[in-house]
Amino acid sequence: MTNPESAVQVPRSLRMPFRLERAELLKLRKSYGVWIPTALLTVGAMVVMYTAIELFHLSNSSKYGPAGGTLNFERATFLMGQLAGMIAAALVGAAAGTQDLSSGVFRDLVSTGRSRARLFLARIPGGLALLLPFVAVAYAVAAVSSVVLAGGLATPSITLFVKTGLWVLLSAGIVYAVALGLGSLVGSRAATISILIAYLLPVQAIIRNITVLGRARDGLLSVAVERLSPVPPPDPHDVVAMSLSTSLIVLALWIGIGLGVGLWRTQARDA
Amino acid sequence: MATQSEYVIETEGLKKSFGEQVAVDGVDLRVPRGSAFGYLGPNGAGKTTLIRMLLGLTRPSAGTMRVRGRTMPKERSQALARVGAIVEEPGFHKHLSGRENLWIAAAAREPAAHLRIDAVLERVGLTDRADDHVSTYSQGMRQRLGIARCLLSDPELLILDEPTNGLDPGGIQEFRALVRSWIAEGRTLVLSSHLLDEVEKICDHVAIVDRGRIVAQGSLSELSAGDDGAITIACDDPGKALGAIHGNGSLREVEEIASGLRVLLRPEASLEKVAAELNRQLVGAGIAVYRLEPSHVSLEHRFLEITRRLGGDS
Repeated sequence: MTNPESAVQVPRSLRMPFRLERAELLKLRKSYGVWIPTALLTVGAMVVMYTAIELFHLSNSSKYGPAGGTLNFERATFLMGQLAGMIAAALVGAAAGTQDLSSGVFRDLVSTGRSRARLFLARIPGGLALLLPFVAVAYAVAAVSSVVLAGGLATPSITLFVKTGLWVLLSAGIVYAVALGLGSLVGSRAATISILIAYLLPVQAIIRNITVLGRARDGLLSVAVERLSPVPPPDPHDVVAMSLSTSLIVLALWIGIGLGVGLWRTQARDA
Repeated sequence: MATQSEYVIETEGLKKSFGEQVAVDGVDLRVPRGSAFGYLGPNGAGKTTLIRMLLGLTRPSAGTMRVRGRTMPKERSQALARVGAIVEEPGFHKHLSGRENLWIAAAAREPAAHLRIDAVLERVGLTDRADDHVSTYSQGMRQRLGIARCLLSDPELLILDEPTNGLDPGGIQEFRALVRSWIAEGRTLVLSSHLLDEVEKICDHVAIVDRGRIVAQGSLSELSAGDDGAITIACDDPGKALGAIHGNGSLREVEEIASGLRVLLRPEASLEKVAAELNRQLVGAGIAVYRLEPSHVSLEHRFLEITRRLGGDS
């Protein structure tokens, strides 16, 4: 046993920053159950979409247009920002919020004396470091395809590329934060994923179509995210109008409440 | 500011209730620095709950506690920085290797913990399997990996809750050797167990807990000091021997055992003198005496006596 009060000389190579965040990333990136579905829902979805459209085009070019161009790019980014990317973010967030609990490692981490808040906060960049590269690659597939497979169609502008890129990353990040918080609150990965997928798919769609709810629908996550979208939704009749400031407030509340309940539960939970 | 107390753990009136159920009831515990301390009690006595409070895993309902001279939970970060613990079964990310699991644990510790990974793997004999997934480990290997994780902090205090669960006899022997080497290095060990024999073999200080309360506490020699002596008699006719020694005023209790008799002496009786006297009585009665083995009442006997008495009181 070394002297407790003596300073231990640690080589510079091991004085690495973000050790807890790297540990979170390690847990996620080594889990096939996390990164394979994430890759399929992001990169896979874009590859399948563009491949399918291009095959249709090649088989009957008079009926089906090229896979590239602005319109298909807008559809692709909307698919990513409002559906597949959100589900991928829910999967990663649920895993990040629950994996220490389900494996029994949370207890051991807490017994090191590390602040529970620090343990929770490390999951935010740790999980995003896995999720966002997949979203970015998927976006790159869409962006490159929109130009390479454009045929004679107009291609998206640089401004649109930048805006949509930021939007899909933001959308995934917001859902990740909500999933992380909910996972930390509930403690069960399966329950967290079920709740989020149910909310993101049928429940939101039903609520946003109940017009008598009026402004109450502004609180829906997809409505607030959609307001920030630089591309119009595929169905223009399905738009819930709201101001930009309302959208930002709603999203801040989703993130704040999501992470807040997760942090609170992590600190209060018996380990 | 920490004070270098004689005790590495001190609790006062520590209590934990779950609704109406009191799991830990006013525990005053003193664990001397550098000791191997056994925390003994039957299942459900509140041992794990006490350990969970000491490690900041759950909050006490009442009372105070200090670990390494620091108040818990207020100074938990400093208090637990050099504490290694296994609570119940150690948990791991099974999809990661043993080395990766240690890397994750080291990330929550001081940076120097990363430097100890190879050494602790070597110490618990897992170097060859360090890069295999934990899902392929036997329960004994996981237990050893849990011990390796404890050692990452170069702990001054080790708290192990039922650490020999799942170990085969060979593993238990290895574990005992490991524990003795820790104690020789000046570390303090707290071993929570219901296996009395295990505690007796490893520990020099003991607290006996029952239904959330400490019913006896001290060094093994202190706890044995008030004990009556015992003599185990191996002979050819235990039934006849029972009659032969009947009426011996130095004996408090006589029981038949498989190979003969076991007698408990009154506190004032001298173990050696009574042994000689019993030998004379038995030989005089024509009984072949194979063996007379004087001993002190074991911790186990005392433990059972205490818990039985408590059971009778309720």
